[in-house]
Amino acid sequence: MRAYLAFLRGAVLVGMVYRLGFLFTALGNVVYMVVAYFLWRSIYVGQTSIHGLTFDQALLYVALGSTVFILLKTFTDWGMAQEIRDGTVAVFLTKPIDYQFYTFFTNLGFPLTSLVTVIAPTVILLVFFFRIHFDFGPGYLFFPLSLTLAFIISFHLDYLIGLTGFYTESIWGISITKEIIVSVLSGMLLPLQFFPAAVQQILAWLPFQAMYFTPLMMVTKPGQNVSVFLVMLGVQAAWTAATFLICRLAYGRAIQVLRVAGG
Amino acid sequence: MLTLGEYIRLYFYIEAQYIKAQMQYRVDFFISSIGMFFSSLAALSIFVVLFNTISSLAGWSLMEMVFIYAFYMIAISPMQILFDNIWWIRFHVQSGSFLKYYFRPMNMLFYYMSERFDIKGLTQLAVGIVLLVYSSIQLKIDWSVGKLLLLPLAVFSASLVLIAIAVMAGCSAFWLVNSYPVLALSWRLREFAPYPLTIFDGLFRFVFTFLLPIGFIAFYPAQFFLRVADISPLVYLTPVVGVLLFALMYRVWTLGVNNYSGTGS
Repeated sequence: MRAYLAFLRGAVLVGMVYRLGFLFTALGNVVYMVVAYFLWRSIYVGQTSIHGLTFDQALLYVALGSTVFILLKTFTDWGMAQEIRDGTVAVFLTKPIDYQFYTFFTNLGFPLTSLVTVIAPTVILLVFFFRIHFDFGPGYLFFPLSLTLAFIISFHLDYLIGLTGFYTESIWGISITKEIIVSVLSGMLLPLQFFPAAVQQILAWLPFQAMYFTPLMMVTKPGQNVSVFLVMLGVQAAWTAATFLICRLAYGRAIQVLRVAGG
Repeated sequence: MLTLGEYIRLYFYIEAQYIKAQMQYRVDFFISSIGMFFSSLAALSIFVVLFNTISSLAGWSLMEMVFIYAFYMIAISPMQILFDNIWWIRFHVQSGSFLKYYFRPMNMLFYYMSERFDIKGLTQLAVGIVLLVYSSIQLKIDWSVGKLLLLPLAVFSASLVLIAIAVMAGCSAFWLVNSYPVLALSWRLREFAPYPLTIFDGLFRFVFTFLLPIGFIAFYPAQFFLRVADISPLVYLTPVVGVLLFALMYRVWTLGVNNYSGTGS
């Protein structure tokens, strides 16, 4: 464990360096939220509630969705493809370090260092400029844990995409396809309530909703019964475990095709 | 200096070699095209789901939105296909390999951009054309000769706006070295282009028309074909905005190129 904490420390230090780049990411998110405000205002013209969501709740949901996206987007798959291509990955075959855990902790640096700076502009915009009404309830207490599980599931998916780097060099196509599928089916861009009922039933059985819809609903509708939140967390935990197992199995298979030339 | 004809011949020659080299990676081309296909449909699929619930967005129907979206897809294709190398400029600037572009007797912007021809961008163009044909049939758009002649002009003008914005963002590499965040921001702004500008109130409509002119990427030019009757005079500004922004971009590029001093290696 101490070895992995050293990787995390390194990643945090690296995260601190890229302050300027982060400024543009934050700015992009602010513009997105402003556009979302006007878009949803047009959608809610003449209506106070759609699919059980008020305008304030829908705006909170999509603004937070875009903000969580920044935290979950770690470029893990890109980094792995690079390590596989240049052969760095071979190091982990000879050292007592687990490649998956190593990758996890090095990619945890970014969300940890930028958690506050990512979320703060969103809260300021929602409270002082859009002046939305927040509901309060136990959902807020479960949100941090839910977001953590969402991060792990998202990491597992990225890790699986990264492993395809053992088989192909065209990581761009696979990665972008994954990103688009997740952004639409996870409810990141649009609350899942807006989907047709039949589609919603299918989406409930896929892991994507556990990455965005679940944590976002905890803040959007925090006043629900505690048992509702516990079930949501249970589903997330199950997906965390299932995707973890898939990652272990996939790595075991993928590593067998590795050939590194020279040293 | 080379003449325009020589540049065109040269461009075809360079791209023919490039495509031959790329043909070694057929799987990559196939997978990237699938990725491009999905990414061209992402925003559209959200519109389609939304219109299950609403019947119009700020006065625009789903089919009209599809038309604007299709126009946008076609207008971003030249940027994607011909100017994709702008994403790699930070690596050249950082490693110093950018210096080689100073040593050829041709236009540097041309030489730099000719180094990559993004074949997968053709998928995007195809999606755009299919959607444009489909939505204009659904909307019963009357394609007069005048409109047919205006379409390439409108697409070309909109493309100039997009190329100018992206290349200027990429030029930040000459001063900041890592141009990725600025490029990613310009990319993100671009994604708002297919939204009807009528959803915004006065201040932001002004911002997205004059300060961050993304309205000229799709919304204004598409009105030529959708609502000829109540057309905004701004629509006619599209070619002017395109040419002015492109000229400004070239100025920024020249400044950047002259400012860059290599890495000393």
